[in-house]
Amino acid sequence: MFDLATVFEFTRDTVIFTVGITAVLASLGVILCSSPIYCALYLISHMICLALLFLLYNAEFLAAVQIIVYAGAVMILFLFIIALLGGKKEIQENSLERSIAFTFILTLAGELYLSATVGPTQQIEGEISPELFGTAKAIGLELYSKHLIAFELASALLLVAAVGVICLAKFSFAPLKRR
Amino acid sequence: MSLDWITEFLNELWDFTVQSLTDNVPLIVGSVKAIVIAVAVMSVVPALVWLERRLMGRFQVRLGPNRVGPFGFGQPMADTIKLLFKESIIQSSADKFLFHLAPAVVVFTAIVSFAVIPFGAPFEVFGQTIELWGANVNSGILFVFAISGMGIYGMVLAGLSSNNKYSLMGGLRSSAQMISYELTLGLSALSVIILTGSLSLVDMVTAQETIPFILIQPLAFLLFFIAGVAETNRAPFDLPEAEQELVAGFHTEYTGMKFAMFFMGEYINMVTMSALVTLLFLGGWNTYGIPVWPIVAFAAKVVFLLCVFIWLRSTFPRIRYDRLMTFGWKVLLPLCLLNLLITGTIKVL
Repeated sequence: MFDLATVFEFTRDTVIFTVGITAVLASLGVILCSSPIYCALYLISHMICLALLFLLYNAEFLAAVQIIVYAGAVMILFLFIIALLGGKKEIQENSLERSIAFTFILTLAGELYLSATVGPTQQIEGEISPELFGTAKAIGLELYSKHLIAFELASALLLVAAVGVICLAKFSFAPLKRR
Repeated sequence: MSLDWITEFLNELWDFTVQSLTDNVPLIVGSVKAIVIAVAVMSVVPALVWLERRLMGRFQVRLGPNRVGPFGFGQPMADTIKLLFKESIIQSSADKFLFHLAPAVVVFTAIVSFAVIPFGAPFEVFGQTIELWGANVNSGILFVFAISGMGIYGMVLAGLSSNNKYSLMGGLRSSAQMISYELTLGLSALSVIILTGSLSLVDMVTAQETIPFILIQPLAFLLFFIAGVAETNRAPFDLPEAEQELVAGFHTEYTGMKFAMFFMGEYINMVTMSALVTLLFLGGWNTYGIPVWPIVAFAAKVVFLLCVFIWLRSTFPRIRYDRLMTFGWKVLLPLCLLNLLITGTIKVL
């Protein structure tokens, strides 16, 4: 009458489906909402949904990193800026930018359709042992052996960007006097 | 005829129930543990408030609450009941949804981050191994950091939604402070992770069976504890709710139980942080030869650290905001990196 395995599979599929739909709805909320605070909140919920999806596919480390880096640090800065500038609602009006944005969305939808018709996603071929799958160790081994140069270059690029931003923003003013 | 159908259905349902119960013992044990942990963590809060008020009284050479019940034990009970029955006032200029969401986020994240804290060695009951932790996530410490990082949103949203400049200032301060000190927290925990080679909190405790990490990593312990005090918004780092400057900071506009929820969040975070320090540096439930139960050893260490939290509050004056930031970025962070460099070099050599 009841089969536990199918019940479990069904619940798992439902959970994955619900989280995915929530992620899509939240990302829609980001572009459709007019209040910046709520936009940021939609973005946060989208990122949490992504982390949940990672978790459902056994990538615990990625999920934790997703939440710590994006939801925990980047989005806090977003909210910080919104609080500093004052989050007022925008008045929506039809303009050239609006129509360009809709064209962009339609193009994205077309791309989505194309990628859906091309076929199902495929697993990445590699020699990761199943007990290491999704752990910090597997990611570390991959990142610091095969992709070391790309990793170091990316970190150098980020450092340059951070120093550049500080140069552009800070040193056009006279340094603050110490009290 | 129809009765047969019903008994057959009931039999099948009974079989299914028994079958699913026997199949899902881990699930049931997990749910029971979740409920026990959540209830225990929440009921620790009044006790902690009592402890804080009594200890603060002693530190300041006065008696503290001692009228309601023996040793003033009834006081937290009376306070809780009072807070529950207070009128909830929301000013008309507030954003209603966010105003309600903020305290819920604070309490939720505080309770959930306690879920992965292990508080004793596993033991066997009725042939089942009962592990004394909510969930053994293999990157447990990252989980704690991730969830407690989400707790900042509660404070920022409270500040934003109140539509009040003091609240906004409190929210801004808390977000800046949290981001600055989270870095120190993570980096000083990283030296312990290097020593153990694992992100699991249980592995960290088993690695300290002979010697607690506080003796090997005293600097990391100090940095972690300071950053932990700052993370939980406790004095001397309680800038987000500095009474003298900001009335009450981000929770200025909150009344009744919603105010109490911020309070609860702070105290649960205090317990979680003490438990984390115990696990990372004080050897968790290892007793080091003292003949007590492991769980008692763990609880004793946590209570001691909680007393240190209260001791700090009644000893140090609040530091100025710019000094807080300078201290975080120019003193703690370089020290952390230096400690990490030395630890890593020794580990490799």
